[in-house]
Amino acid sequence: MAEEGPPGWISCARTATSDTADGTVGDGTVGDGTVGDGTVGDGAGGSGKDRPRGGLGERIGDIVGGGPVRRWVKADLRARWGQALLAVLAVAGVVTALIAAATLLEDGTNPWRGLFAESGGAHVWIHTASAPDAERLAKLKHVSAVAGPYRTAPVSITRDGRRMAAVLRHGTPAPPAVARPLVREGRWLSARVPDGVVVERSFARALGLTPGAPFVVNALNGTRHSLVVTGVAESAEQGFYPEWPGLIWVLPETLEKVEPALGRSEFAVGLRMTGTDPDATRLLTQQVAIALDNEVGRVITWQRVRASMELDNRLLGLLLGLFGAVGLVAAALAIANAAGGRVLTQSMELATLKSLGFTRGQVALTLMAEHGALGLFGVVLGTVSGHLVTVFALETTPVPSMNAAVAGGAALVVLIAVGVPAWRGCRTPPIPAAPAAPPRGRLSHLARLALLFRLPPALVLGVRDAFTRPAHAALTALGLAVPTMLIVIGLGCWATLDAFLADPARVGQAAALQVRQGQLSPDETESLVRSDPQVAAVYPGTEVEALVLGQARTVVTRALGTSRAPYPFPVVEGRAFAARGEAVAGQGMLDLLGAKVGDMTRVTVGGTPLIVRIVGRVVEPDHDGEVLSVGLDSLAVKDAEPPEFYSLVLKPGADPAVVRGRLMAAGDGRLEVLHVVNPAERLAVIRLIIVASIVVLALVGLANLLTVSALGLRDHAVDLAVLKAMGLTPRQVMATLVTGTGLMVVVGVLAGTLLGAFSAAWLIDLQGHTSGVGAGIGRTPSPLTLAATVAIAVGAALLVALLPARRAARARVPVTAR
Amino acid sequence: MSEDPVVKTVNPVKIYQNGDVPVPAVRGVDLQVEAGEFVAVMGPSGSGKSTLVHMLGGLDQRTSGEIWISGKRADTLSESKWALLRRRGVGFVFQFFNLIGNMTVADNVELPALLAGASPREARQRREFLLGELGLAARADDPPARLAGGEQQRVALARALAHEPSLLLADEPTGNLDTRNTRDVLRLLSQVHKKGQTIIMVTHDHRAASCADRVISLLDGQIVDDAPIPAARRGPRRNAGDVIELRG
Amino acid sequence: MHVIHSGNVTVNTQCDYAPVTEEMGVRLPLLALLAKEPAHGYELKQALEQTFGAAYPSPNIGQIYVTLGRLEKDGLIRAVAVEQSSRPNKKVYFLTQQGREALIAWADGPLEGPRLRDEFFMKLVLAPMTGIADRGALINRQTRHFLGLMRELHHLSETTSPDDRYAHLLIEGAMLHLQADLDWLERCREELT
Repeated sequence: MAEEGPPGWISCARTATSDTADGTVGDGTVGDGTVGDGTVGDGAGGSGKDRPRGGLGERIGDIVGGGPVRRWVKADLRARWGQALLAVLAVAGVVTALIAAATLLEDGTNPWRGLFAESGGAHVWIHTASAPDAERLAKLKHVSAVAGPYRTAPVSITRDGRRMAAVLRHGTPAPPAVARPLVREGRWLSARVPDGVVVERSFARALGLTPGAPFVVNALNGTRHSLVVTGVAESAEQGFYPEWPGLIWVLPETLEKVEPALGRSEFAVGLRMTGTDPDATRLLTQQVAIALDNEVGRVITWQRVRASMELDNRLLGLLLGLFGAVGLVAAALAIANAAGGRVLTQSMELATLKSLGFTRGQVALTLMAEHGALGLFGVVLGTVSGHLVTVFALETTPVPSMNAAVAGGAALVVLIAVGVPAWRGCRTPPIPAAPAAPPRGRLSHLARLALLFRLPPALVLGVRDAFTRPAHAALTALGLAVPTMLIVIGLGCWATLDAFLADPARVGQAAALQVRQGQLSPDETESLVRSDPQVAAVYPGTEVEALVLGQARTVVTRALGTSRAPYPFPVVEGRAFAARGEAVAGQGMLDLLGAKVGDMTRVTVGGTPLIVRIVGRVVEPDHDGEVLSVGLDSLAVKDAEPPEFYSLVLKPGADPAVVRGRLMAAGDGRLEVLHVVNPAERLAVIRLIIVASIVVLALVGLANLLTVSALGLRDHAVDLAVLKAMGLTPRQVMATLVTGTGLMVVVGVLAGTLLGAFSAAWLIDLQGHTSGVGAGIGRTPSPLTLAATVAIAVGAALLVALLPARRAARARVPVTAR
Repeated sequence: MSEDPVVKTVNPVKIYQNGDVPVPAVRGVDLQVEAGEFVAVMGPSGSGKSTLVHMLGGLDQRTSGEIWISGKRADTLSESKWALLRRRGVGFVFQFFNLIGNMTVADNVELPALLAGASPREARQRREFLLGELGLAARADDPPARLAGGEQQRVALARALAHEPSLLLADEPTGNLDTRNTRDVLRLLSQVHKKGQTIIMVTHDHRAASCADRVISLLDGQIVDDAPIPAARRGPRRNAGDVIELRG
Repeated sequence: MHVIHSGNVTVNTQCDYAPVTEEMGVRLPLLALLAKEPAHGYELKQALEQTFGAAYPSPNIGQIYVTLGRLEKDGLIRAVAVEQSSRPNKKVYFLTQQGREALIAWADGPLEGPRLRDEFFMKLVLAPMTGIADRGALINRQTRHFLGLMRELHHLSETTSPDDRYAHLLIEGAMLHLQADLDWLERCREELT
């Protein structure tokens, strides 16, 4: 009967039906009496190489090639694919959001990278007086391709009475392969439109040029030429106007026409390198200098372009760091909750596995493998979808190194998050025979109180439930508290941005407009701007470079207002300056000087020592906070007169654009009126990320709640049956369950909101401190927002808790021993 | 090696700590089980019989005393070493079957064989053989929850035997079964035993205990009786046609 | 004797050892009581009532004297006349060596079948009193014996054709009786040792 089986001694002749009475049960088979020979069962006949041999190697071997672990994981995943999917999606969502956020922020703070990648840019641009030997340059080490050489000619454009420097650049109708200008509006150069030019975007913005607009350029020889804009393009070869001269691409013929003299033109050639390596770049510039034998006019490296394009405030970086932490915590929470809940529900099966011979390490590794694999799968999925989102939805170029960092960080967090429940699971005692008795709940004091007040039984039971299972209750509360806290922190960021916009004065942006002197005298300028009905105050100011002693570097010293009428700096510590020789500083400046409020400090402005006492710290969003602000009268007269600019604080409700237009008109083109850019305006992208994060966090919270609810119901199955037998209606059963969950939900959400509200301002300030902006910008969401958050979170959570409760209340649960 | 008893205990003691109150469960049960024996451990609930068998399988740590499995000292092993010992030499059958709910019947049975180091092919052959012998070949791909209690326990028995253990420990294997299924499971145990399997079975059911060769009665964690079940008075009957003369 | 024939299995449901007759039921307790100390007839009656209480119907004094007479005739006890001042002499009985041996043989012998209570119960109650046997040992011996019977029934059940339903029912019935007795023995062990 067992001829085909492997050699073994068991041979139970019996089948389900054949109770043969022949007493010769299994005599004919291989009962070979090898039974008791030792504990090392050799009967399985496993080939030696598969046989596990003690220690770590064995465990890893089991994970990698071993059947048992893989089978368990496979079976478990099959049994709960919905839950597994949710965990994967939560992690993937977080990682996607992180990558999208990081890419957006990177783009916001560092547009060069995207432009460079998209345009296939050249790393090094060399400007020479005569046409360089391009072939020779192409042979240099590290050079992979050459752009140009292009002939360029300086011109100027007059607008509103001001002359603006620009450069005409030879371009061909066919865009080049290397350093290809990226046409954003209109079209590229075409031989059919000989007067057509393509204008660099920042320059076009400054001039208000759009495709189809005509304009006039003045050549160096004084001739004027009418040209038409056919397109607006971006390029990674130089920084933005006005720091860099405006760039205009024209056809060769047009260039020839505008500037026939070769002696007044330059040649620009771009070298694309094999890699972006600073050392190689330095080497290359040296080689170029040697190769071109001092004909080199200027060498512009990619580092310089990148630096000039970078925003100088770190607010974005600050918020990026915050969101990175938030996202990772959310991912960790999602995966830890899913894994932890699963381990709790599986304690009996884990014990069975142990009784079958799974070692502690094997159980831990099994759990790590299963849940870790889910998490890592989520990370991979998130990385891929993050890549796709950045490429297709946001239309930017992804940053591989950053994406890798995000993915790596997320993977690490996932593994740590899984490690805790795995450790817990591996410590399950190996006795599966005794099913865990449901906790015997006594009526808590609270429940007694509830009874005293004759509350409905469902409520009392629910309350009792919440308090007699502390682990479960804590899991529920924590599962909601953390996402809620993170959401509130996100709202805090939002509120901070709002505060930037709504009240710029509090972040050092009291003045909405800045007037630079044109051809008017200071007195004329001042009286002109003061006469505007909507100008509240005018502060003359100037910015000078000050040498910091012992630092061998300069910082910005800003003189704005006078000691008697100081500019309304947002002082967060100490006071504003009120006398000559007093100053206020940003956090970055204090850190740089190693000073604190009340200290004396000494800098050198244009050779003149400036000794000031720092009497206050201000919120300083510019220049990493490395700004020293003094009254104009504190500076030496040679530096202070005449003021470089006037900062205009407008009356409340005044529209800066309207005032600007009026002033420009009043000044008759002789005033330069600039709109002060609020850093928050450049941070609009953050809002998108906040919304996305809140959505992801809400999902994480709900997923956590579902996990915990499922866990609770499992513990409850018998109780429910008993309750029903005692005469509770399904509605009351449901109410019991929802009350139990709801109480913990309220506790969790409230705790999360409070923690979030406290930590949001603190975290932002902490970030502000480290980034030099300085503490004092953080805002807590308004009470109304907080109340709405709590209401929505509790409502949504209860709705989610209602679903399983409803199902459980209706299900017919037999009263059986488990 | 074959002369060593499969199980030998020297004064093992297990004391649970209930808060600050020590609760002795097993109080020095000297025991020796030779290869091929079928021993039933009986006693009222709370007499320490389950604790004893758990200790023999390393599921529970003894407080003091010695446990020797096949001539090797086992009570000093770490939890992991015990696990290795179990996967190579000990099979467990529990009262509540304890099949892995997510895995099919086939996977449940193959798991210990794979753990013991068998190749997937060997494990499959072993499983097919065992399930065939137990009349469950048709249920191989079902989840355990779809099986009746008796069938589940038969699967659990197949699982316990999948890695050909030298010792089969059964903790109330019939405790959760009706009379008919109890009879089936006991018959299987007897047959397995006839083939030479060493079995230690904890039970509070005398009918189950009577399948064993030897009954150990525990009371309050101590042995009160340890004796072979006497052979039938009139020797083995040759066939069922004989008249049974049941006294009483 | 009721005998049920079912197929090829015959189960005697009635005992084939000496039935517990009235005399039988008094004989051994009397021996046991005398093993403790010599006594006269009336004392024995009182001792019987005291020991068994309502659990066991006490025989009347006449039966006791008849039984004592027979025991004396069998040489298991002997009587000595003791003079009394105002009444006729009374006979005080004591156990002979032969009587003690008979008692020990009875105590050591396992009892058959499920209806053990009457006699086994007596053994259980009387044994420690007389010092002739240990209760634990009694219970163990009885338990083993029953387990042996149970095993026999198992074997019988296995070797009986499954088609023979009545036979199986019979075996089942016997097993259930045995099981009840075994459970009761265990109970005795828990309570008495």
